Amino acid sequence: MSTILESIFSPDFGFVILRVTTPLLFASLGVAVSALSGTINIGLEGIMLVSAFTGVMVSAFTRSLLLALIAGVAAGVLLGMILAYFHLYLKTDVIIGAIALNFFASGITIFLLFLFTGDKGTSSSLRSLVFPEISIPILNKIPILGRIASGHNVLTYFALLSVLIYFILIYKTPLGLRIRAVGQNPEAAESVGINVNHIKIYALLLSGFFGAFGGLYLAMGYVSWFSRDMTAGRGFIAIAASTLGSHMPLRTLLGSLLFGSVSAFSIYISSLEVPSDLIQLIPYAVTVIVLTIYSGRVFSGKIKKPKELI
Amino acid sequence: MKRFIFLTLMLIFIVSALVYTGGKKEEPGTAVEDKELRVVLYVNGNLGDKSFFDSANRGLQRSIEEFGIRGRTVEGGIDPSKWEPDIAQLAAGNWDIVIAGTWQVVEFVQKIAPQHPDKYFITYDAAVDFSQGNLDNVYSMVYKQNEGSFLVGALAAILTTSDLPFANDIKIIGFLGGQDIPVINDFRMGYEQGAQYISPDVRVIASYVGSFGDPAKGKELALAQFDQGADISFNVAAESGLGLIDAAYEAKKYAIGVDSDQYLLFKDSDPEKAKHIVTSMMKNVDNSVYRAIKLHLSGELPYGSAESLGLKEKGVGVADNENYRKLVPEDIRKKIAELEEKIISGEIKVKTAFGE
Repeated sequence: MSTILESIFSPDFGFVILRVTTPLLFASLGVAVSALSGTINIGLEGIMLVSAFTGVMVSAFTRSLLLALIAGVAAGVLLGMILAYFHLYLKTDVIIGAIALNFFASGITIFLLFLFTGDKGTSSSLRSLVFPEISIPILNKIPILGRIASGHNVLTYFALLSVLIYFILIYKTPLGLRIRAVGQNPEAAESVGINVNHIKIYALLLSGFFGAFGGLYLAMGYVSWFSRDMTAGRGFIAIAASTLGSHMPLRTLLGSLLFGSVSAFSIYISSLEVPSDLIQLIPYAVTVIVLTIYSGRVFSGKIKKPKELI
Repeated sequence: MKRFIFLTLMLIFIVSALVYTGGKKEEPGTAVEDKELRVVLYVNGNLGDKSFFDSANRGLQRSIEEFGIRGRTVEGGIDPSKWEPDIAQLAAGNWDIVIAGTWQVVEFVQKIAPQHPDKYFITYDAAVDFSQGNLDNVYSMVYKQNEGSFLVGALAAILTTSDLPFANDIKIIGFLGGQDIPVINDFRMGYEQGAQYISPDVRVIASYVGSFGDPAKGKELALAQFDQGADISFNVAAESGLGLIDAAYEAKKYAIGVDSDQYLLFKDSDPEKAKHIVTSMMKNVDNSVYRAIKLHLSGELPYGSAESLGLKEKGVGVADNENYRKLVPEDIRKKIAELEEKIISGEIKVKTAFGE
């Protein structure tokens, strides 16, 4: 017990939280940007899987991190485009389309994995690359903060930077304004000459873009191989995190951090003699509780809804 | 153009959907009368777990090569609602023996086997309830993973205070389970007992991933164990456990593999990582499947009963490979071999989670 408390109150625990949060944060931003445009993308699970797979394969065969990055992101954006095509041109329900996308991603990655490696489980027979961990010069000298914030994978820093990118995108660019306008009232947006479908396509492409990094981080940073269905529900938790944050940048970051912290906490206390099912329940129980409290407060007007923020 | 894109996408969808279901449609009625033994192995998951199912498949492949039987492995995927109809379909199909494993499918075999008295069924890693009375065409094998785990538990307890390069002085060792289920806890019971046998004050910190397919979480849990002072941890979590091996490599600690000899699996693709796998607790599913088919061919397989395969029957064991011999000093290896003898002779009784 004392060693666990020691671990939890050490700066390393903060480090763990950031590491656990990274894939969630990318996925949450992916959900957020799509939700702002009015078509929530629940296909992040699939997007992450395909990007993770593409990144691993490209890095293994080309030995180039840059190519892997480009291919992984391209794969995520492509899936965003496929979803957009189904939803906006073939008029599929976006939820159904995204569910299909998730199943498709699971199947195609296992199939291709088998084609390339002869293995249906993991790509560990290939020597794929990982993104480097970087130590930030001055920051790593600061006692506690340095241990929490320095030495992370480069994608973890990019995740935090992505929050800023997302902030600038939706508040400071014309595209962001249009995304919000389309999400809030598509008819009104159309009446002033905005092409609603185009804006929604951009939002879904951006969703694929952010999600792709989540996948790349999972397979090329967190661990160093692809294994089937390795996203293990993170794309769905992201929907809760993003909703909790009303799809706004800072709040989405906080929502992701909340789940990251709770997951990290449940990981640390799992060595206690408590039934493991109970511990595994914690992140999900917190999801339900926090969402309930949150919606209660929105209902009673204590928290402003995002629409009123615009 | 639109039409072309649409058709191409549909084609990809259909192809991958077919692959996803494993293409396991087995048409009954295409029977060709021949004397060859036809054996099908049903995997209620997918191959590629680097441990359990892959091992069963190896056993079947070896039997095919050596006995010239006809055999096939059918992958059922991870959707449990499909397993029962799948097994029923295989039983009705043109197979003589249906092999299936894990506790999840045993009840289905129990239900289906009496409907096909002309077919044989073999279950591994879990036994059907023979007291039901109508299961004379079923043979079950279970493994005494507690015995093998006892040995690796003892090894871990010795190594944690040894002067191996990555060992620390803290008497804590780790255990990473996939799910909190009886068969995994059987590993744990043996592991803890083995550790305590060496030194009563060794503490085992056990954590469960909650899934066999989340390596990232497996890695995070293992890193947390190492952070709390463990310097060696036992992977009993299939694909999630591959995260433990990654964690051992990253944190400069040790891992104990499971089911297959995981050092050999990583030796070529990632030799640096493989060096952190001290040994593996082998569950020789491959040997047992091979043995069962062999006994069936000679007519000696005791259908209607279950056998438990332990150290004595070579159903489980500690992987003895070059890395084990290099890392672990000879006196410790001798000690482990002595313990093995003691378990075989019955001098040490290993506790089990199955409550005997």
